[in-house]
Amino acid sequence: MDGRVAGRRWGGLVLPLVAFLLVVFVYPLAGMLARSVTDPEPGLGNYAAFFDSPVYSGVLVNTFLTAGLVTLVTLLLGFPYAYLMTLATPFWRGVLMAAVLVPFWTSLLVRTFAWVLVLRDTGVVNDVIAALGGAPVPLLRNLTGVLIGMVQVMLPFAVLPIYATMRTIDRRLLQAAEGLGARPAFAFWRVYAPLTLPGVAAATLLVFVSSLGFYVTPALLGGPKNVMIGELIVQQLSGVLRWGFASALAVILLVVTGVLLLLAARVVDLRRMLGGGR
Amino acid sequence: MPRRVLLALTALTLTACGSTAGGGADKQLTVVMWGGDDQKKAVAAYVEPWAKGKGVTVKQDSPTDYAKFRAQVESKKVSWGVVEVEPNFAVTACKNGWAVKLGKVDTSAVKKELVGECGIPVLEYAFTIGYNTKTFSAGNHPTSWAEFFDTAKFPGKRGFWKYATGAMFEAALLADGVPKDKLYPLDLDRAFKKLDTIKKDIVFYETGEQQQQLVSSGEVPLIQAWNGRIFAAAKDGQPVANEWNEHLLSYDQLVIPAGYKGAALAEEWMNAFLADAKGQADYANQSAYAPVNPKALEFVTPEVRKELPTEHEDQRAAIIDYTYWAEHYDKVTERMNAWMAE
Repeated sequence: MDGRVAGRRWGGLVLPLVAFLLVVFVYPLAGMLARSVTDPEPGLGNYAAFFDSPVYSGVLVNTFLTAGLVTLVTLLLGFPYAYLMTLATPFWRGVLMAAVLVPFWTSLLVRTFAWVLVLRDTGVVNDVIAALGGAPVPLLRNLTGVLIGMVQVMLPFAVLPIYATMRTIDRRLLQAAEGLGARPAFAFWRVYAPLTLPGVAAATLLVFVSSLGFYVTPALLGGPKNVMIGELIVQQLSGVLRWGFASALAVILLVVTGVLLLLAARVVDLRRMLGGGR
Repeated sequence: MPRRVLLALTALTLTACGSTAGGGADKQLTVVMWGGDDQKKAVAAYVEPWAKGKGVTVKQDSPTDYAKFRAQVESKKVSWGVVEVEPNFAVTACKNGWAVKLGKVDTSAVKKELVGECGIPVLEYAFTIGYNTKTFSAGNHPTSWAEFFDTAKFPGKRGFWKYATGAMFEAALLADGVPKDKLYPLDLDRAFKKLDTIKKDIVFYETGEQQQQLVSSGEVPLIQAWNGRIFAAAKDGQPVANEWNEHLLSYDQLVIPAGYKGAALAEEWMNAFLADAKGQADYANQSAYAPVNPKALEFVTPEVRKELPTEHEDQRAAIIDYTYWAEHYDKVTERMNAWMAE
């Protein structure tokens, strides 16, 4: 079917969605933008305050670094997992799917607190290490804790899109490649892996962008050095009531994320990745 | 008593605490506190009985959120009636016209220093030295902030609340030898210098639950604690105890957001609350937070009484000066952020 014709015919159906977005997204966003340059006084004072202090820009850098690391680890774990799902028998595929989805449906807070119990110095992991005669490993209130917690939360967002893409790939392509003399590993990387790219790119984007906004997990599993921008925004909003500054923080996060997405769009075809035109 | 805890967290751990609000009652009062069990106990102890007598419907919300407070006042859609806040916020809210000036409330029954222009005290609590009794014995544990900061004599991690008003700076200055009556205005340079000496051993907690967990598990055997949290954990059989020496007294206040339609009714309840010795004692018996009306003490059980700040006044180092904090909270928070990130 020709997508463009369909688009013209059904375009009117999008209007309610556009109206909805205008009311619940664009309007508040404009308000936030306005507040960032008017509260407490007109001008760019809030932005100046942000860039003047190495603490705040440090938080921003930390936010992107953490999100990047989480994305990397999530992909390294999620890709083989999704591949395993395509190979498994229907029964085991169901088991693997459930293993991804059950934590996904469990409250974030419950999981985060569970991690605290598992990872703390007197927790399960360190008890085992101690029983084996090892020294306790600091797993909590540092980057390790944040990574473990966030990766677990984000894993479904990597596994599901990658699996969805892999499922559509014809495995006979691999057989064909091997039939033409490619070794299995070569066939996998040169034939199969490139076909998974749309899924991998979607996973990367989903995980990275969602990770930027994390709040509870780094607050509970991280230390004072692992503050992410979400936590800073809450502090400025509810704690010290500097709404203008909090708005500026949110705008900065939004702009930097937007710029990164634009850059990403130059490398990968975002439209295709998000299921748009072909 | 959790104060500015992780907001989302409390909101989620809270089970439905909406009262059985009927649509028919024309008189209603909305009470907002920090949530959890504490709020249920408080409302049952000294709001519900009064409301029943007056035919008032009690509504509840939680936890207190200063951003929501300000937003309601500014948008002139005020649904919160009586709100439990930290006194420094009460001062700020009063100054900015966000809170009602309490003209008609009779505060003669409570200590003058706990009353503000817009806030009445609701409870007293103390920042004590909470310690794990398995790690440190009753006879050999830090009994002063100087010893709390002495990691050579008492090794192990130290816990502090992650907020500037969490009494960490007061403790550091006391530990450094500042006289009790010369704490304010805080010498922040000196406080940070003292804190530097134990920085690598400090663990920050956000919530009361974390506080209890850290000290009970022995992971952080020494913690600057809220006395009621330690009391509750000890009652649950955890190996923890309060050291009362050099405790810092603190309190929460109740304020009414400006523009609340039921402000008159709210003040009426405030009057009743301040005089309600029985109700305050009822709550104190469950929470180990001290009643603000001294008459209530005679209704508190002896077991709980010895866990109240009111029984340890001779060991008190100071009362937290929230006028100071109202003025300096933002700046100190900023400096604390920088210090923690170093």
